[in-house]
Amino acid sequence: MSKQEDLIVSKNIKRRTFLKSAAAVGGVAAMPGMLVSQAARAADKAHTLVMASPSTPQGLDIEFDVSLGSIDVLGALYEYMLAYEKIPDPQSPDVLREDTSVHSDKKEGLALRGRLAEGWEVSSNGLKATFKLRDGVRSNWGNLFSADDVKWTWDRKFNLKGQGVFQTAVLGLKSPDQIKVEGPRAISFNLEKPSPILLKQMCNLANPIYDSKKCSEVGGKEDPWATKFLQNESAGFGPYKIDQIVRGQQAVFKAHPDYWDKQPYFSTVIMREVPTSSSRLSLLKGGAVDIAQFLQPREYESLKGDPNVTYDAVRSSYMIWLELNAKIAPFDNVKVRQAVNYAIPHDEVIRTIYYGQADKLTAPMPYIYPMADTSFFDYDYNLDKAKQLLADAGFPKGFKTTLSYNAGDPTQEPIALLYQTSLRKIGVEVQLEKLPAGVFYENVTKRKRPMIFYLDSPWTPDPGYSLFLYFHSKSYVDYSNYVNTTVNGLIESGLEILDDSKRKEIYKKAQKTIMSEAPWGFIAYPKYTIGRKKALKGLTYYVSNSLRFQDFHL
Amino acid sequence: MRDRLDLVWRVAIARPRFVLGYGIVIVITFLALFAPWLAPYSPITADPSQFLEPPSWAHWFGTDAVGMDIFSRAIYAPRVDLTIALLGTLISASVGSLIGALVGFYSEGHGVRSAISYCVMRGADVLQAFPVFVFAIALVASLGQSLQTVVMAIAFVNIPIYLRLMRSQVLSIRNMRYIEAAQVAGLSDFYTITRHVIPNAMAPVLAQISVNIGWSILLTAALSFIGAGVRPPTPEWGSMIAMGFQNIVTGQWWPSLYPGLALSITVFGFALVGASIEVLADPMKRRELLAELRPNASVAAPPVSRTSA
Repeated sequence: MSKQEDLIVSKNIKRRTFLKSAAAVGGVAAMPGMLVSQAARAADKAHTLVMASPSTPQGLDIEFDVSLGSIDVLGALYEYMLAYEKIPDPQSPDVLREDTSVHSDKKEGLALRGRLAEGWEVSSNGLKATFKLRDGVRSNWGNLFSADDVKWTWDRKFNLKGQGVFQTAVLGLKSPDQIKVEGPRAISFNLEKPSPILLKQMCNLANPIYDSKKCSEVGGKEDPWATKFLQNESAGFGPYKIDQIVRGQQAVFKAHPDYWDKQPYFSTVIMREVPTSSSRLSLLKGGAVDIAQFLQPREYESLKGDPNVTYDAVRSSYMIWLELNAKIAPFDNVKVRQAVNYAIPHDEVIRTIYYGQADKLTAPMPYIYPMADTSFFDYDYNLDKAKQLLADAGFPKGFKTTLSYNAGDPTQEPIALLYQTSLRKIGVEVQLEKLPAGVFYENVTKRKRPMIFYLDSPWTPDPGYSLFLYFHSKSYVDYSNYVNTTVNGLIESGLEILDDSKRKEIYKKAQKTIMSEAPWGFIAYPKYTIGRKKALKGLTYYVSNSLRFQDFHL
Repeated sequence: MRDRLDLVWRVAIARPRFVLGYGIVIVITFLALFAPWLAPYSPITADPSQFLEPPSWAHWFGTDAVGMDIFSRAIYAPRVDLTIALLGTLISASVGSLIGALVGFYSEGHGVRSAISYCVMRGADVLQAFPVFVFAIALVASLGQSLQTVVMAIAFVNIPIYLRLMRSQVLSIRNMRYIEAAQVAGLSDFYTITRHVIPNAMAPVLAQISVNIGWSILLTAALSFIGAGVRPPTPEWGSMIAMGFQNIVTGQWWPSLYPGLALSITVFGFALVGASIEVLADPMKRRELLAELRPNASVAAPPVSRTSA
C-alpha cells in the first residue's frame, strides 16, 4: 500500500461515511464504474488498521515462539476457553483492562466470562473442572468447534515438550488422560491436587485452542501435531486469519467472516516491521500508521501536545530487574545483594530513563496482580546503608564485578550507566558488558553472569504462578540461582489450596523472605505503552502485554 | 634551514588544505594528550540531575541521556580512538609490509618460497573478499569485546592492504641494478630485503598509514556504534553517536551531533595529511608542486612527463 493510500485511511469519519454512502448510492444510480471502485476502496481502507511494529511474527506457534511480533497476533488469530471481564483502567479511563482481582462474591472468586467455554463447574474438592463448550463456533478453515479440539490442543502440549510442558506442569497435569472428553460439547480436567490457577490458565495467552481437524489433515502421519503448518499459518477460532506474512516486511490479517462473536471493526490489519523506534515515531506522527509500538519513553513524551496522535501508558505486569547470581561470589552473600539494592537510584531511573512511565519495583511479582505485597520493600536509595552492609559482608573497600545488559533494549544501557556511577560511590567497580540480543538471552539462561538485566512478565495473574516462575529452585526461569527450601515449600503449598485468604498469608510470607534475601536488584515496573492516532479507540490492556486487533475501532 | 622554512611556507600558501590537515591532527593529538586537564567534568560520571541539557555555558556541548558532559567526553574520546587507530595501523603496516616484502621478493621462480608467496597472496585475496566491516564484527564477536580486540581487528583487516602495496613496490625494486649488485656482492637475502628493498619501498606505505589512521578511527567508531567496539561509558565518538542518535527525532540533537562532527573533522584531517604525504613523497608530484611554487610559475608551469621521473 502506498503512502498516499495510507493517508486516505487517516481521513476523518465524515469523509469515510460520505465515501461509503457514495459507493452505495453510486451502485444504485449506476455511477461510472471507476467512481464506484474508488469509493469502495476508500471504504476498505477506512477499515484497515496499520501498525508499525519492531518485528513481524517470527513464528506463529506459541509452543515454540514467544517473540514480540508473535504474541501480538496470537490473541487475534486464536480464541480461548475463558477470558477476564474488562474494566476501565483506573489511571487511564480510555483504556480497558482485564479484571484480574479476587472477587469473593463471584464464582471461584474470579471475574471470568465464557468464550469457547460458555459454562464451567469446579467440583467441591477442586479436583475436577468441567467445561460446557459453545456450539456453532467455526474455525477460519470452516470446521466446527468441538471437545476434540480442546483435547487435541492439550495433548499437543504433552507431546511436543515445548513451552506447553510448563503449562501442564504448573497445573499438576502428568498425563493427557487427565483431560477427558465428556461429550461433543463438554470436556473435563482431572487433577490429583486442587489447583487455584486452573481457570486462570484457560485465559492465558499461551493456551489458545487449535482447529484439530485442519491440523490433523495438513500434518498427516509425518507431522501429527502440525508444527510446520502452524509456524506460518493459523488454525484457530479467533476473529482474524492470516492473509500474508513476509517476515522482515509485513504481515496482513483479514477478519474471519464466520467468527462466532461480534465482527471486529477493522476488516484488515497490516503489521509493518519498522525496526527503529524513531522511524516508528515518525510514521505515527506523519499519519502513515495508526499504531506505533515499543517507542522509547522519551519518544512517547514527545507526543504530548500533538493534535493528532497520543499515547497510553498503563500499569502492567512488566518487571525489570537485575539477576544477582546467588552462585557467583560476592552475590552468594545476602548482605552484598542487599547492599547493591540500596545503591539503585530508583527515582532517577524512573524520572530520567522512563520519564515517569514506570514505578519502583517493590515486590517480587507484578504489583497489579492479586496478593502482591509491596510493604516488604525496604530498598530506597541509601548509600550509607549500602556501605555498611558491604563492610558487614567483608567488602569494606568494595569489589569489582560485571554488569551485562541487552543491546536490543534501549533503556538498559542508560540504567546501567546510572547504576555504575552509583555503585562507584560505594566502592563497587562495575564493568559494563553490552550483549547483542541473541547472545544476551543465551547468557541469561546459562546463568553464568554475576549481574545481568532481565525484563519479563508472568502471564497468569497469580502469586503462585509468578513466584514459582522466578524463585522456585526447580523452575527453569530461576535465572538468579536462588535456592531457599522454605520458599519452595510455601510456593508449592499455595499452589495446592483454593482458599484465597490462606493463600494470601502463605504468599505474604514467601514475598517477605524473598524481598529480604534480595535475589534480584529490584529496579522498576515499566508501564505498558502504545502510541496511536487520537481517533483510534478501544485499547485493552492484557497481562500478557500484547495487543488484540479486535479491540480497536474508530 | 632558512631555505627549507621558506619552502614550507610557500607550500603552505600554495596548498592551504595541507596546513588545515596538519592543524587538525595536531589539535586532536593535543586533546588526546591533555584531556584530563582540559575536560571540565569527568567523562564517565552520570549526573541524572543534568540529563539532556542543551548546550550552555555550564555544558558547552550539552549533556547526554544520563547527564554526562558531552564536551568532556568528546575531548577525551581521541585518547581511545587515536590509540586504537594508531596501534592497529602500525601493527598492520609492520606485519603487512614485512610479509609483502618477502612475498614480492620471492614471488618469481618455481621453488617452495614461490609457492608460499602464491599461497599468501591467495590468502590475502580471501581476506579481502569479505566486507571489511563484517569481517571486523566477526573478529570482535569471536575474540570478545575489549580495546585489544578492536586493535587486533583493525590490524587484521588492514594487513592485506599493506601486503599488496609493499609487494607491488618490491616487484619493481627487486630487478633494480643495486639489488642485483647487492646479491652479486654476496649479501644475504635477509640483509638485502631489510637494508635495500624495504627502505626504498616505504614511501607509498607511509602515505597509506596516514589515510589508514583516519579510516581506522572511522572503523573503531562504527564498531562502537553497533555495540561491538569499546564498552560504555568509555568516551568514544562512535559509542557517543550511538547513545545519542535516537534523541534526534525528539529534538535533542546535541548528544550525537558534536561527536559526529569531531569524528568527521578528524578523519578529514588525516585524509589531508595523507594527501600531503602522497604529494611530498612522490618525486613527480613533488616536482610539479615545486614548479608551481617558482616565482615565474604563475605564467605557465612546464609540463612534466611521468617518464622523466
